[in-house]
Amino acid sequence: MKTKSNLERVLEAEQFAVTGELGPPQSADPEVIRRKAKILKGNVDAFNVTDGQTAVVRMASWAACLIGKEEGLDPIVQMTCRDRNRIALQMDVLGIAALGINNMLCLTGDHQKFGNHPMAKGVYDVDSIQLVKMVKDMRDEKKFQCGDEMAVEPRLFIGAAANPFADPFEFRVVRLAKKVAAGADFIQTQIIYNVDKFAEWMKMVRDRGLHERVKILAGVAPIKSVGVAQYMKTRVPGMDVPDSIIARLQGVPKEQVSKEGIQLCIDIINQVREIEGVAGIHLMAIEWEEAVPEIVESAGLLPRPKFTP
Amino acid sequence: MSLIDYTKFRLKPAEEVRGTFKQINRIFILSCAKCYKIFEEENEEEYTHLLDILGEDHKKIVGHAMIDFLCNNFLSEKRILNLDLSNCDSVGVISCGLGVQFVAKLLEGKPVYTLADSVQQSGNSTTEIGYHGISLEEEKCAGCSQCYLNLTGGICPITNCAKGLLNGPCGGATDGKCEVNSSFDCAWVKIHERLKKRGEKFTLESVQIRDYSRPSLKLKSDLSLQNQTLRGEGFYGGLHPLEKKGKTADKKIESFPEPKIAVIFLSQHAGRRAEPSVRLGDKVKVGQKIGEADGFISSPIHSSISGKVISIEERIHPAFQRKDLAIIIENDGGNKFDPLIQPYKDFENLPKETLLEIIRERGIVGLGGAMFPTHVKLSPPKKIDTLIVNGCECEPYLNGDNRIMIQHPKEIFVGIRIIQGILGVERVFVAVEDNKLEAITTLNKFLDKSSSVEIVSLKTKYPQGAEKVLIKRILDREVPSKGLPLDVGVVVSNVGTVFAIYQAVVEGIPLFQRVITVSGENLARPGNYWVKIGTPFKDIIEYCFDKKGGGFLEEYELKMGGPIMGISQTSLDSSVIKGTTGFIVLRKPPVKVSEERDCIKCGRCVEVCPMQLYPLYYSLYGRKGEPGKAIKYNVEDCMECRCCESVCSSKISLLSFIKQEKEYACSSNKA
Amino acid sequence: MLVVQIKPEEEILPKISSKRLFIFECLGCQEVYFPTEDVEKFIDNLKEEIVGKASLDYLCNREFVKEYIERYSKQIKKAQILLVFSCGVGVQIVSSLLEDKIVYTCCDTLYLNGFQGLTVQEFNCDQCGECYLNYTGGICPIAQCPKHLLNGPCGGSQNGKCEVDPDIPCVWQQIVDRLAKLGRLDKLEELVTPRNWSVSLISEPPVKRFP
Repeated sequence: MKTKSNLERVLEAEQFAVTGELGPPQSADPEVIRRKAKILKGNVDAFNVTDGQTAVVRMASWAACLIGKEEGLDPIVQMTCRDRNRIALQMDVLGIAALGINNMLCLTGDHQKFGNHPMAKGVYDVDSIQLVKMVKDMRDEKKFQCGDEMAVEPRLFIGAAANPFADPFEFRVVRLAKKVAAGADFIQTQIIYNVDKFAEWMKMVRDRGLHERVKILAGVAPIKSVGVAQYMKTRVPGMDVPDSIIARLQGVPKEQVSKEGIQLCIDIINQVREIEGVAGIHLMAIEWEEAVPEIVESAGLLPRPKFTP
Repeated sequence: MSLIDYTKFRLKPAEEVRGTFKQINRIFILSCAKCYKIFEEENEEEYTHLLDILGEDHKKIVGHAMIDFLCNNFLSEKRILNLDLSNCDSVGVISCGLGVQFVAKLLEGKPVYTLADSVQQSGNSTTEIGYHGISLEEEKCAGCSQCYLNLTGGICPITNCAKGLLNGPCGGATDGKCEVNSSFDCAWVKIHERLKKRGEKFTLESVQIRDYSRPSLKLKSDLSLQNQTLRGEGFYGGLHPLEKKGKTADKKIESFPEPKIAVIFLSQHAGRRAEPSVRLGDKVKVGQKIGEADGFISSPIHSSISGKVISIEERIHPAFQRKDLAIIIENDGGNKFDPLIQPYKDFENLPKETLLEIIRERGIVGLGGAMFPTHVKLSPPKKIDTLIVNGCECEPYLNGDNRIMIQHPKEIFVGIRIIQGILGVERVFVAVEDNKLEAITTLNKFLDKSSSVEIVSLKTKYPQGAEKVLIKRILDREVPSKGLPLDVGVVVSNVGTVFAIYQAVVEGIPLFQRVITVSGENLARPGNYWVKIGTPFKDIIEYCFDKKGGGFLEEYELKMGGPIMGISQTSLDSSVIKGTTGFIVLRKPPVKVSEERDCIKCGRCVEVCPMQLYPLYYSLYGRKGEPGKAIKYNVEDCMECRCCESVCSSKISLLSFIKQEKEYACSSNKA
Repeated sequence: MLVVQIKPEEEILPKISSKRLFIFECLGCQEVYFPTEDVEKFIDNLKEEIVGKASLDYLCNREFVKEYIERYSKQIKKAQILLVFSCGVGVQIVSSLLEDKIVYTCCDTLYLNGFQGLTVQEFNCDQCGECYLNYTGGICPIAQCPKHLLNGPCGGSQNGKCEVDPDIPCVWQQIVDRLAKLGRLDKLEELVTPRNWSVSLISEPPVKRFP
């Protein structure tokens, strides 16, 4: 065990892991976090707090994680390269480790033009792969990116994202390999609606033996409405929402769409579980955290494993 | 005033270069001759440095070429594809990122390595690039698209402040120097001082915050595409000067009043000067021959007025700008025509030899400005398959050819048929720039659609009307270096000449008058005029110009021809000759920029030369007094269109160096 | 290549209201892009008194500007504000030669890819000082990727297009394609270490950029 992360323990025990996600508020209100954390508790092994998702200003991920930790969960801090240079990133890594947070997800970050501050300068001093390596070296070599040594290292379980649906398709696995080589412990993928394409990608992953070196959590999410589905299809970078999914939701009466959207998610969970090399799921019920307990239960993923500390 | 060397690259660190060479076997090196530095000599420092670094591995280099302006895609592609790259398995490039990317794309199948790093020239910024403009000055602009100079007294905070601050200095400046790089002044200290000097208060209007989303990618790509399309139109190089044709485009051709005294030069054609065939005191009639052609490449001269020969003397020739022989005739006001002027009946059935004789006898020469004797041009020693009638008239202000096409389309088509008969040619193109819509429409209206004559509308770009450019554009044939159109089976004839041929053959009229456009600035009567050959320039000034009195040539520049290629006149006693296409009067520029500027290798002359030459070398060697060194740069292909001189950022008189080079080439050829 | 656009009226007009103006107009980069008609319209619409106008090529050339300033010194003295139509370089030069006059620019300057000379190009070089082109098969990610990624592409690359603007190609897609063609895709498996942004401050960039 490299860290005190609950997620790491679940994965080490070869149990099918479940991580959740929580979108922090566009305000300074901590109650929102507490409320959502309470819903997730017991239903997930760890939960992400997004960091300036789609370049919209929200409460900082590390802060919301701390609040969630106080509620008794194991949070995963997300950090993007868009907003901070290597100095700030490493400072924040030290800080979150000191606060007792055990997991971190390293991302490049959606371009600032997508959010509510399109005029902001994008930093991109380092990219996600360089960030993974940076944190790994801090943890395992006890060294900063510049080479200086530190007395107490941050012991973080390091995650990275993978998008099986972005282009160039064949190259995505090479990029995944780079992240693994850089030191990623776990991977969370972009939301899967195109299961066939995901299966194709997993085959390429297995061909390289990557599934044995890193734990892959398949991204899944329920869809609340046809409008949300359309939005994801057209406005979220890197998402693949097949027309059949939209059609499935359009095929039921309006008041039943959300129920159908939940069932859709459960079906996909069941499908990806069958794919060799998938170590768990990453359930992103953004702004719909109430759906998480139902989904996890119906997919037969309860109870979540408990370990003695 | 010290100018900065803005060389944009330097060889990579030795270890990295050696590392690259370990991976390759046989490599061909392309190095860029650099840009934006004072041009003092041709040298190959980076390549020499490379050889020093490599030691034994230098044997892996199988070839090397130095390319001027490697990033000039069009020309570099030609030069690179002419190299023999067959026995190398990779190519190494010593240039800035532009050159490497270009070569890598061009040679997509071969591994291309860069052996250089770019050099950051951003001023005092570590994150923004500062661009230096078309000069080697210190001031740079980051192109932020939201200029702050109005708030900072004209000192750019983005290129001069290491942190790009917009609201005043940080606390780090020591003794007015920047904390990041003490070789730079603190920009905000300078800004503060400047604002004080101007009496402006050091309060910025509001807390400035930058919009990094500007310039938008869309705007950049739109403008970029617009520029690439504009520059690439029709042919490589060229310029888009302001056309200024509006003043006279719609003015019908009027008859210019006859001169009281006509000054008729005996040399109004390429080749040997005509011999006077009249004597002092002789009475002459309109159209009467007064000068006999001397040899085959020569042309007779005819009187344009009726009157008496009062002198045969030297005057300043408008084209040569030195004294040359002219026949001076005093007008008797009678306008009596030579009785030998008779239309030819049945011209359609005249044999080609007779037609050529008529054209010769009537003194027809090329009216586009070159004045080449037409009967010679229409007796080419090689087979011709295409006739191009040149109606482009690509210089600003001029409208003579334009008006002839609008007003005399029928006659033009008859003239074309006559030439077709002489040359035995089927295919004819009439080339007109697309800024002459009325001419194109008119010609199309009167065109016999069943004939093999085609009206071609070409995108307006100077110098589209140059014959080699025209031939490449219409027929995609390249006239060989130092060659002529007849070498590729083509004859190009100015549309005014075609009309003159019609007049000579069908109406029997010799060449004693022509259409010229009088235009420019401060003219009371700009327009297109039938002007008698020999009309003194001062007559035209008197009739067309607003101001009278002496000192004209001190205030105004008078050009015979167009404003770009036209010949500057030094004497108002010069007169209209057969090659006078225009009479352009322009105010002299308020400042004559002083001479002797260094070439800064901005590359603009190379980008505009329609003959794809490298004019900067003519100035380099001209300046050094080493004519002949530039001969390898094909100066004989230069058509003196002056595109290079027009854009030279150092205002070097490139044409004078070109002429020097040509003279040298000419005399060394004879030797 | 620097090109200009006229600033919005509301930014300029209040500053020059009722002042005597002298105008500097640069014609040097006309062939690349200079909004001539807009500038003429702008000047025509000015209600203020214009005491003189200097139109010259290359306002970025200090020597030329000096000669014009000498020629028009009387009018410049009379003017309360000098209005400049040129890129940022020209404005700075005029300002530095007439330090005690108020000089305002009427233009915003942006840059177009490529060589500084005349013809704009598809390529660009961002002067990073440590050329990565050997690693990317000759396609520059710093100049062409809005996130200037060195281990790209990001997850937003779709159908060969960039997430920032669907009209621009994803440069990392191009890099992958190019290297695949050359049979050198393995080059991208090396992790590229973070960029050295301080190249301008040191004399030689570090050599080891790849593991």
